[in-house]
Amino acid sequence: MKRKLYILMSLVVLASMILTACGGAAPATEAPAATEAPEQPAAPAATEEAPAKLKVVTITFPQEPDSLSPFYTGMWFSQITQPFWLRGLWRIDNQGNPVPDIAAEIPSEANGGLTDEGKTITVKLNPDAKWSDGEPLTADDFVFTYEMILSDKNAVSTRYPFDTKVESVTASDPHTLVIKLNEPFAPWLTSIFAGTNTSTPVVPKHILEPVFQKDGTLDNAEWNRAPTVSAGPFVFKEWESGSHLTFVRNDNWFGDKPKVDQIFFRFVPDNAAQMAAIKSGDSDIGVYLGFDELPDVESSGTAVVGTDQGGYVESWFFNFDPKRSHPAMQDVRVRKAIVLATDREKITQDLLHGKTAPVGTFWDATPPFGDPNLKPDPYDPDAAAKLLDEAGWTLGSDGIREKTIDGQVVKLKLRYITNSRDIRKNGVMPVVKQMWAKVGIDVELVNNANDVYFNDYANNGPLYGDFDIAEYSDAPSFPDPDVSHFRCSEIPTPDNPAGGNFQGYCNPELDKLFDQQTTTVNRDERIKIFYQIEKIMHDDVVWAGMWNDTDLWSVNKRLTGVVFSGATCFWNVTDWDIT
Amino acid sequence: MVNYIVRRIAQAIPQLFVISLVLFALMQSFGDPLATMGARLPPRPEDQARLRRQLGLDQPVIVQYAVWLIGNDWMKIDKDGDGIPETSGTRKGVLRGDWGTSLVTKTPAIKVIAERIPNTLLLMVPSEIIIIIVSLLIGVYSAIRQYSLFDNVITAASFVGFSMPVFWLALMLMYTFSVNFKRWGLPYLPTIGMFDPQVGKTPQQIVLHMILPVTTLCIISTAAYSRYVRSSMLEVLSQDYIRTARAKGVRYTGIILRHALKNASLPFVTLIGLDIPFLLAGAVVTESIFAWPGTGRLFVDHTARADFPVLMGILMMIAVAVVVFQILTDVLYSFLDPRIRIE
Repeated sequence: MKRKLYILMSLVVLASMILTACGGAAPATEAPAATEAPEQPAAPAATEEAPAKLKVVTITFPQEPDSLSPFYTGMWFSQITQPFWLRGLWRIDNQGNPVPDIAAEIPSEANGGLTDEGKTITVKLNPDAKWSDGEPLTADDFVFTYEMILSDKNAVSTRYPFDTKVESVTASDPHTLVIKLNEPFAPWLTSIFAGTNTSTPVVPKHILEPVFQKDGTLDNAEWNRAPTVSAGPFVFKEWESGSHLTFVRNDNWFGDKPKVDQIFFRFVPDNAAQMAAIKSGDSDIGVYLGFDELPDVESSGTAVVGTDQGGYVESWFFNFDPKRSHPAMQDVRVRKAIVLATDREKITQDLLHGKTAPVGTFWDATPPFGDPNLKPDPYDPDAAAKLLDEAGWTLGSDGIREKTIDGQVVKLKLRYITNSRDIRKNGVMPVVKQMWAKVGIDVELVNNANDVYFNDYANNGPLYGDFDIAEYSDAPSFPDPDVSHFRCSEIPTPDNPAGGNFQGYCNPELDKLFDQQTTTVNRDERIKIFYQIEKIMHDDVVWAGMWNDTDLWSVNKRLTGVVFSGATCFWNVTDWDIT
Repeated sequence: MVNYIVRRIAQAIPQLFVISLVLFALMQSFGDPLATMGARLPPRPEDQARLRRQLGLDQPVIVQYAVWLIGNDWMKIDKDGDGIPETSGTRKGVLRGDWGTSLVTKTPAIKVIAERIPNTLLLMVPSEIIIIIVSLLIGVYSAIRQYSLFDNVITAASFVGFSMPVFWLALMLMYTFSVNFKRWGLPYLPTIGMFDPQVGKTPQQIVLHMILPVTTLCIISTAAYSRYVRSSMLEVLSQDYIRTARAKGVRYTGIILRHALKNASLPFVTLIGLDIPFLLAGAVVTESIFAWPGTGRLFVDHTARADFPVLMGILMMIAVAVVVFQILTDVLYSFLDPRIRIE
């Protein structure tokens, strides 16, 4: 018994010794840290003195890419890295214009690239184009990319538009790519082998074909997570899950040479932590800021705010379905009065810190498809009141307009539904309520969380129920301007529950124009059709734009030349420099 | 003793089997992995149908569970969508060490998890050690000097520490020691990540980046743990045998360490035994705020995408660890308290 106790005791002592030993180690790791901390600020000072040090741009991302292979991702945060390391035939600049990358020129009717009413696209490739390992980049790589997208062996995230719109992709010679379409397809420029946020550029055949032959699929290819061979001003170096993704300068790049040495993506899921990193200078470029965070960024003294046209506009959608809306909504004069009674300029200046402006068309953030001459209606409460008088809505004793319909007095009280976080945060809704009260319109405000708000027809989503004005941020099929939303055929019914036209708006004239633009391959002509569409939508007050809902970025002041484009966010990376 | 351990392990196997079944069923409520695939808009209906088939998500839940457990390399599956199974399955199943392929990264789930465990342990183990030592010191000292100034101050401080939300404390530390200290020209700490890309991933950099997250974790947990130690020490110190020992003239430190602390440590050991398995799970909030690439963040990120192979992997790993450490804790009891006998 005594012996047992002795053994037990010595075990306890031993355990406590181990514990103290570990404990001793812990403060030891802390101690040097404490002494090192004061030394740290000296390090940045050293970089200023020695400009030979690496120029590293740190970009903070709230989400980590799932895969780098364009086949296996639909994530914006993976796709927007591509301009650094994987260029397509062309990319889209901040004005919405294509800039050639692997292509020698942009195909057009004039240069013989677009023939057969636009059903055949012939692309001349740059004969100097090379992969980062020095292998030539040829039309065969594009044909291989096409075949891999359509293979049943590969679980690619989307086959669009190759499964429905493209008939064949062939190489007539190593530097000529021929794409045949089933029908004229206007969005070809941004969706076929383009270097945009939503298109698959190209993958290296000489690397991936052996993998496909060996494994029978590309799903598990090493290249998907470590694309060491690519075609862009930078090339993949390292990806540590949850931590960072690094690209270094590609010396074999045949285009413009980058001025910085390394791009370092750091994954920072927490918003407030990203803000701290932006303010302390630990993040050179940050993304997904809210309008309310902008003054904080600017007052920090370390960063400025950048924007891009991402296609999204904060929108008002009016309800045209008489069964689900106020009787006044059927009258275009009332809809017009609502728009005129809202001082959108003041809202964007005061509540959104002047970082954005009201928009005149649904396509103002999809350049160049928005008509610059179609300006948003100015604030004019007198004209609004006059229109309401004309429509028969007269001021009641309580200051709210009313009208006698079928012997009953109906008050002009509208139901306004939204999901917008800016509205919630910055109090846009109460301001709108006040503005409308001045012209005698009363409003019931309903705010929903996103998951509730976007419930579909089958699940009785608010957009498919009773409302008069629905507000949220929406975009066309950006960077392509096509949108199905406003067509008669899209009005949801029990037979067509997937229909997206929750406004119940139907105008055969508008439908015809929408059909026409999808098959108009000539871009200039297509832009003109959109101008007509926008005119009808404006005159009929189908839609009104509150403000341009741009993506908001922070850019550290030490960076120069950074300009964002909505379609290819980092389109001008070779112009970036660190001062 | 050996019999006892063997019996406990034998009991654990059906236990883990039931846990896996329940977890797999719960996975179905995590959402649809194809809902957005991480994009801003849902995939086209035709892509969704094809991917569901190619990834085997069109099968009934019970079939999916069977594939997860025992694999599908013994049967044919339909990949081209003609309704006729033609391709041999490639999954081996968990029982043969195949945890499936992550729906997000398309790499083996076990690899996805294994990449994060060293990072998480790097953060959690030093924190746990500091927490244990500091809370023992504080707890024992304030029990000996009950109602002294030190005890009162520590009591107040630990209530403040205990009731502080982790995210708030973490952000306050970050804003104070990183953002403001830098602005005031004082020595400052880095905000996020494991290292400065300009310098590279050196041990000094990692230690420097560990200071704030480790401090955050320690403040919160030490506050709670020191209270446990204090109260169980107080209980033991009032026992008759302590008085007897003192009357016999045993050295005071000897009484505290040998007689009091050993007996008072039983609840504390239980607490730590339950805690250690969760070191593997990481610290969800702290890792997210300091952008530390650990398992806690992995779990959150992959929950958002309903990546059930990875989620199942993490949860089963924790389940196994909990079972193992419970057995170990029970065994340790018998060493600490001879009244507890294992048969």
